[in-house]
Amino acid sequence: MSQSLRPYLHCVRSTLTAALSLSDFASQASERHNVPEIEARSSPEVILNPLTVSRNQEERVLVEPSVNSVRVSIRIKQADEIEHILVHKFDRFLTQRAEAFFILRRKSVPGYDISFLITNFHTEEMLKHKLVDFIIQFMEEVDKEISEMKLFLNARARFVAESFLTPFD
Amino acid sequence: MANINWRTINIDALEAESSYNFDLSTLTPAVQPVSTADVQALSGQIRQLSRGGDNEGALRGALENAPFGADEQGKSIHLSVVTEILQNIRQAEMTPILQRMYQSENGSEVCDTLMKYLYKGMAQGAPSANATTNATNARNVTPQATGFTQAGGRNFGGGEGGGQAMSVLLSWHEKLVEMVGPGSIVRVMSDRRTV
Repeated sequence: MSQSLRPYLHCVRSTLTAALSLSDFASQASERHNVPEIEARSSPEVILNPLTVSRNQEERVLVEPSVNSVRVSIRIKQADEIEHILVHKFDRFLTQRAEAFFILRRKSVPGYDISFLITNFHTEEMLKHKLVDFIIQFMEEVDKEISEMKLFLNARARFVAESFLTPFD
Repeated sequence: MANINWRTINIDALEAESSYNFDLSTLTPAVQPVSTADVQALSGQIRQLSRGGDNEGALRGALENAPFGADEQGKSIHLSVVTEILQNIRQAEMTPILQRMYQSENGSEVCDTLMKYLYKGMAQGAPSANATTNATNARNVTPQATGFTQAGGRNFGGGEGGGQAMSVLLSWHEKLVEMVGPGSIVRVMSDRRTV
């Protein structure tokens, strides 16, 4: 792991651990409803201060806590336009399968590439430290995945160009 | 009225008694308002202390006199002072300084304030602030449409900017959490006295 990635992930880990102390909270606006307050925003007093952890201008994590839900948004590093397209495709692939991921939000928060929404029901049926581990692991993997895909793409493009130009040799 | 879509009207906002209109000021502890001029004078004093080599005293002074009641401009002045001092302190000195601060009187509160400034410092230059520079930064705009209509609007290059400042804040954060634990982060989230 690179030297500056370790403190970044460490910081995200402790922030998430602190933010994931959730409790059941029924909606105050309508009876017999129980909605994530960070999305509904129907009662301002249960929304807590949002926290940002950033490694540099392009890589950051936004943690928006509330009494019964936490929204975690990740901005993935994109050095050039190929990575930008790859990240976009990758996000689309994941968000279209959001049901299988439980905590994945279908649409990311503006300015960020991927968002998770963790509610108190998730923390009740899953282990909290495993949830934190999952997000940290996701952040570790996604950078690796994107740069790997970029290498594959370049290798394939070179191969295609070569075989396309052989007849003109 | 006829051309307003009534389905989009938030009726909770119209009712004074609803939880949507909860008065947040009742939760905020009383903080006395501080004028921007006062913050500026204070930051001048703190910078003087820092220039004299007393970084620890400067940091303490800055954190103990955090202007909770100042406006946005005053708060950003104070934030820049605090980050400046944090960058002046060397890596090896961080832990002893934090230890002395934590063990002194009101140490827990000072550490919470430091935590607030660390998060605020990292929140600087958020994407919303970058959005305005995207339009003017014509150098990085794709010459032709890429066909990715949803994936637009991002400037490349210069992304590593601020990496140095952030890594200082991150290592401060790591050392601080090691000492005071995650409780401090919870207090940053729940405290209505923002820096």
